[in-house]
Amino acid sequence: MSQEQGSGLLLLGVGGGGCRLAASVRSAYGEGLRVVCADTDAQPLRPVAGAGMSAVLLGGSRLSGHGTGGDAILGRLAAQDDLETLRAQMQHVRTVVILASLGGGTGGGATPEIVKALHDMGMATVCFVTRPFVFEGEARAKSADRVLPMIEENADSLIVIPQDDLFSDAREDMLGDAIQVSESLISAGVTLLWRLVTKPGFIQLDPERLHKMVLQGGNARFGFASASGADRARHAVEALKSCRLLRKGDSLSKASAVMLGILAGPDLRLSEIGEVMGALRSHAPKGCLIEMGTVLDAQYEGRIELVALSFESWVAAVSQSATPAKDAAPPAAAEPPVADAFPIQPGSRRSRAKGSKLSFGATGRGKFRDVEPTLHEGQDLDVPTYIRRGIALER
Amino acid sequence: MAIPPIAALEIGTSRTVVCVGESDGGRIKITGVGSYPTIGVRKGQMFDLVQARTGVETAVKLAEKQSDVSIWQVLMALSGGHILATVNPGMVTIRSSDHVVSRDDIDEVTENAKEVQIDPERQVLHTITQSFTVDDQPGIVKPEGMRCKMLTLNVMAVHGVKSRVENAVNVAKSAELEVTDVAFSGVCAALAALTAEQKRNGVVLIDLGGGTTNYIAYSNDVVAAVGSVGVGGDHVTNDIALAFNIPLNRAEELKRAEGAALIDSEGGARRVALKADVGFEERMLNCKALHTVINARMDETLRVVRSRLHDAGVLPHVGGGVVLTGGGAYLRKVTELAQRIFGVPCRIGMPVNVDGLDKVEQPASLCTAAGLVLYGHMTYEDRGMLAPVKNIFKGWFRR
Repeated sequence: MSQEQGSGLLLLGVGGGGCRLAASVRSAYGEGLRVVCADTDAQPLRPVAGAGMSAVLLGGSRLSGHGTGGDAILGRLAAQDDLETLRAQMQHVRTVVILASLGGGTGGGATPEIVKALHDMGMATVCFVTRPFVFEGEARAKSADRVLPMIEENADSLIVIPQDDLFSDAREDMLGDAIQVSESLISAGVTLLWRLVTKPGFIQLDPERLHKMVLQGGNARFGFASASGADRARHAVEALKSCRLLRKGDSLSKASAVMLGILAGPDLRLSEIGEVMGALRSHAPKGCLIEMGTVLDAQYEGRIELVALSFESWVAAVSQSATPAKDAAPPAAAEPPVADAFPIQPGSRRSRAKGSKLSFGATGRGKFRDVEPTLHEGQDLDVPTYIRRGIALER
Repeated sequence: MAIPPIAALEIGTSRTVVCVGESDGGRIKITGVGSYPTIGVRKGQMFDLVQARTGVETAVKLAEKQSDVSIWQVLMALSGGHILATVNPGMVTIRSSDHVVSRDDIDEVTENAKEVQIDPERQVLHTITQSFTVDDQPGIVKPEGMRCKMLTLNVMAVHGVKSRVENAVNVAKSAELEVTDVAFSGVCAALAALTAEQKRNGVVLIDLGGGTTNYIAYSNDVVAAVGSVGVGGDHVTNDIALAFNIPLNRAEELKRAEGAALIDSEGGARRVALKADVGFEERMLNCKALHTVINARMDETLRVVRSRLHDAGVLPHVGGGVVLTGGGAYLRKVTELAQRIFGVPCRIGMPVNVDGLDKVEQPASLCTAAGLVLYGHMTYEDRGMLAPVKNIFKGWFRR
């Protein structure tokens, strides 16, 4: 328990898809992983509590635990209803990894609201969100596209996983299997990342470094590969480079920072680490910051697994000296020099200019523009509620 | 005691209402109602005194005609976000040798508690006695004859910004009316719409006005919280106008015709036509988007009230439910929304404590004016629970 708390990491699944992913990460990782599942549907949450994870029912008073029926607005309102309950789960947490599948009501509606709340609490958030399969239809894809900018606005790192990219083109899976396979692939990747950060290794990638990386991370891509047998190191790097999730290596060659994890058995040789790193360095652009960590575990005997997070717009924090990034300009909301080792700052860390599309000056107030504003908890109530809540209207 | 007819004036953000009420010693009968659209008032505050005066004059004329009296003195209802309530305790030690609370002790503690310290720019509208505490036993309504050493009385003072109160009174004055007393709209609506049983069980009355939302909560027969939020039906209209880029009058029509406080999931992609008008082509609007805009606003407004009541610690004591009055109470599905937010039954409040309003359209929107007539009668008889600060009762009417 103390180790879980000490890491300051928490895995949060939002919505049906997100909760299934979180649960499968948990079962792959085993004990010692703090998982919170938040959903509007009470049914899948029931087994969660029994499995040693925390469950938070969103919008119980509004939806009576029946889910949203795919309505993102309901999901959003449900999250607003129960933010306090969720906040109570966030003690001793500094970095939250959020899993959600977009396109639905809870994953799509509640996630932006939750990310914003966590951001306002001063936590670093890493969001793994999946985009629906093409075969799921245009409506779901559109709904996912609407939500993404809202998440991007407040998430420190956003990793979008298009589910279609998990499969090679000519794959002839059963429809039902496809979702299951994609879930297991994503959860395998997240589990690898988690092990990397929390399990002791010889070259450790600790939660602190993850926290630092994701704080300025922006949009990221996420990929993983594995190989075994002779020449496994070279094969693994090749597989990583051709990983569709990393746009077949395109993402790596443009990255400004890469976090790479090597997971292998005790038979990992130094020359193999050298080979992986060498290949990656030659592939990545000059000045790219590469953070590397290893985990040695008997269960990886004879194999090598690589997991990579590639940040395309990573900007080094001002106080960090080891920054080869070229334009290491201070971010818009410049951090004051804090003596505290854990600079947790509530409010905006990233420049919001990119994400905020809702700039409303006097016009948003309409007929109330020359009246003394009605203020409540820092909000101008004369501005339409749907604008302040960021609700997208169907036209 | 014969009481002359009493006239009540409410300059609301959307309508100016005048009610005349008479009593034959029993219940009060509303004998005249005059109502006219208000111009020049936003969020309960006067902006254009001249235009607001026209509304008052017309409403008074209509009420005079119907009730066959000539009005020259009125009571006035006030609302607006500036109105606040402060609870002030008063204390006396019972000095008599047998420690029995006497009438004098009660008078003294009442005087004591009514000396509320407020900002010099504010003015007390009325003081409402809550309950007595006899030594450490709270919640006593009639302490006379009880034995104790210390008697405490909590008095709630409702107060507003002086200049705004004066501005409102000046509108009436400019229409050649004398304002004999002012009262907070929320208190008035409660007088007209709440029954004794509801007050005993604990109840919240939310008056959904055009420019402001006023609330008053009773628990155990005592006024536990009073307040006003500067958000009302005009905000809903404004939100709609901005969302669909249409003029405010079209938005108001649309709200009345098609508006609902809950998002209708069964309606699917129903669309409503916005008829062509001068300079406007006919347009089709998504009904769900309209309901979304309204739902967001109403949800927020009711939640602000809920959080205020929560902060005042009243929320667990309102088993009698939520009563909605004002024009906003007629928004479709607003009672269902309030029921979800407060978790207690909710209904539209009618002016049940007065007679003569059965045939009026949308009686819930007349609760404030009708209640103000009741307030006038109560203070005239001086029953003590709601004592006006200034008692200036001369002759009320010229016949």
